[in-house]
Amino acid sequence: MKYLTLAACIMATSPAVAQDYPVTVQSCDRAVTFDAAPQRAVSNDVAITEMMLVLGLRDQMVGHTGISGWSKVDETLRADIAALPELAPKSPTREVLIGADADFLFAGWNYGLRVGSELTPDTLAPYGIAVYELTESCAHIMEKGKASLEDMYADILNLGRIFGVTERAEAMVTAWRAEVAALTADVAAEDRPRVFVYDSGEDQPFTAGRYAMPTALIEAAGGTNIMDTFEKSWATVAWEEVIAQDPEVILIVNYGDVTAAQKRDFMMNNPAFADLQAVREDNFVTLDYVEAVPGPRNIGAIATLAAAFADARQ
Amino acid sequence: MSDQAITAWMASKRRVFPLALILSALVLLVSVSAAVSVGAVTVPTRVVWGVIADNLLPGIITPDWSPGRDAIVWDLRLPRALLAAMVGAGLAMVGATLQAVTRNPLADPHLLGISSGGAFGAIVALLHTGLILGALTVPFFAFLGALVATGLVLGVARVARASSADRLVLAGVAVSFIVMAAANVMIFLGDPRATQTVVFWMLGGLGLAQWSHLIYPLGVLLVCGAWFRWRAHDLDAMTVGDETAATLGIAVARFRLEVFVAGALVTGVMVAFSGVIGFVGLMIPHIVRMAVGGSYARVLPVSALFGAVFLVWCDILARTIRAPEELPIGIVTGLIGGVFFVWLLGRRI
Repeated sequence: MKYLTLAACIMATSPAVAQDYPVTVQSCDRAVTFDAAPQRAVSNDVAITEMMLVLGLRDQMVGHTGISGWSKVDETLRADIAALPELAPKSPTREVLIGADADFLFAGWNYGLRVGSELTPDTLAPYGIAVYELTESCAHIMEKGKASLEDMYADILNLGRIFGVTERAEAMVTAWRAEVAALTADVAAEDRPRVFVYDSGEDQPFTAGRYAMPTALIEAAGGTNIMDTFEKSWATVAWEEVIAQDPEVILIVNYGDVTAAQKRDFMMNNPAFADLQAVREDNFVTLDYVEAVPGPRNIGAIATLAAAFADARQ
Repeated sequence: MSDQAITAWMASKRRVFPLALILSALVLLVSVSAAVSVGAVTVPTRVVWGVIADNLLPGIITPDWSPGRDAIVWDLRLPRALLAAMVGAGLAMVGATLQAVTRNPLADPHLLGISSGGAFGAIVALLHTGLILGALTVPFFAFLGALVATGLVLGVARVARASSADRLVLAGVAVSFIVMAAANVMIFLGDPRATQTVVFWMLGGLGLAQWSHLIYPLGVLLVCGAWFRWRAHDLDAMTVGDETAATLGIAVARFRLEVFVAGALVTGVMVAFSGVIGFVGLMIPHIVRMAVGGSYARVLPVSALFGAVFLVWCDILARTIRAPEELPIGIVTGLIGGVFFVWLLGRRI
């Protein structure tokens, strides 16, 4: 994984900087102030945990949650989190977080945090647990623009400020920006393939709308999500809508019990889809869950998509 | 059975009553102690009781535990156990009274549209408005929904001239369907990933219990419980039949509506803080009648205690079966309670 090596180089060379506290970062609609870098952080869900790890914050963490319960551990990650205890296989309860003496939680709305549940910034505040919310997920609780790579960059930069590793975070984001620019330099503006994100569902497809990360990844790779005006994050649409948009590429999100191959077979063998350009030309591309939600593997995902789009154009 | 045998049977049930009362009160105390002692995080018994002593009588001992342990026992587990006890007591009592005034053994607090109304209110808050009123948003909306549903049932009952028990039940069921359909529309319009929140809420859960909110269920439980107990003899008369009750000077239709409104008040508050928890209100009164007979002066207090004990233990199981995950408590009440009741039926018949 090229970007991980790149990140490792940056980490090795950047000097430790003393940063001035308190720092205040924007987390969805809240301004959160930190008087010092958290020392007992917890992250929920797989890509969110990788954002912490890629910044080299493992020593400031007491554990992670919400990964194995959803079968999202892959080989790369297993090596990375080996030394980090899993506090809960799915979303943690308050008791688990308080029991681990956590002082910080990085999670997102519907990535662990749920409105009106026992896990929200408000319910954790009395116990000294500060919450930083995944920027992409803010769409669930406030007005927000279309999902963008900037959302993920903002999270990395904010984590950098919270944990006092600003330079490391900035260097990483700068490198990523350059990498993405290089990947998509030769894509013509009028030549953007129409892409349908197929997450799951047979009677009705579950797909990524305007506020979900795949929309940003597809755009960065030079395509257009056919559902990018659909004012939802992840949601169910009607097959008719998909057929009407005639996607040129189908992006399968791989997770859960149904494999990517089974999802592709379903699309290929259903007569209703036989006339879709993507099906006729067999243009399928697969991203793992951890690549399709905001996190460091988004850059690799864009490379995968850009290559698939280039194939589709020929 | 001869008259003599019936008299002897009733006398035995009367004798059982004080015993059942004292025993279940003791069991409740033990159950709450168990509830604060177990959970996803292991806290030594010495620390558990140290925390409780320290909070009740500050200064009596010097804390040698972390603030986190204090928070787990005092801020999370104890209010949660007390909420479980209050919700169990409230739902069981309401179930018992509704079964009397409708003379329907299947009557329970959720039958008459109150819980659907609560669910509707909660869904609006969870999926659409967000927590605009802070931590009390969901309880407030749920209670409001329950009140509106109750009003609708009363309105329908009036339109349908539902003076009989059966027609009141039918009015409740009809309103329940309408409100639930409306609630499902709200779910459909909401974000599908957020609907998991709704599923959890509708299956019940006590994870949000906190000290500052306990006053509401406690207040409604004491006031309505006292009123129910005061009208216990009228409830006895209602179980026999409308005519009998009328000859005893009870304004039957009016009394039925009063009981319904009081029950709606209790259920509305309980649902607001716990979500929809089934089984308790339906089955606990039947179990209690098997133990202490049918007189409401006995059924009401024992139902409250049995319901409290039952729900405290269901919550303990919900928290420990798949720790550190928590099961929705409605799953546990349905499963454990249903199986237990089948066993009980088998023994008695």
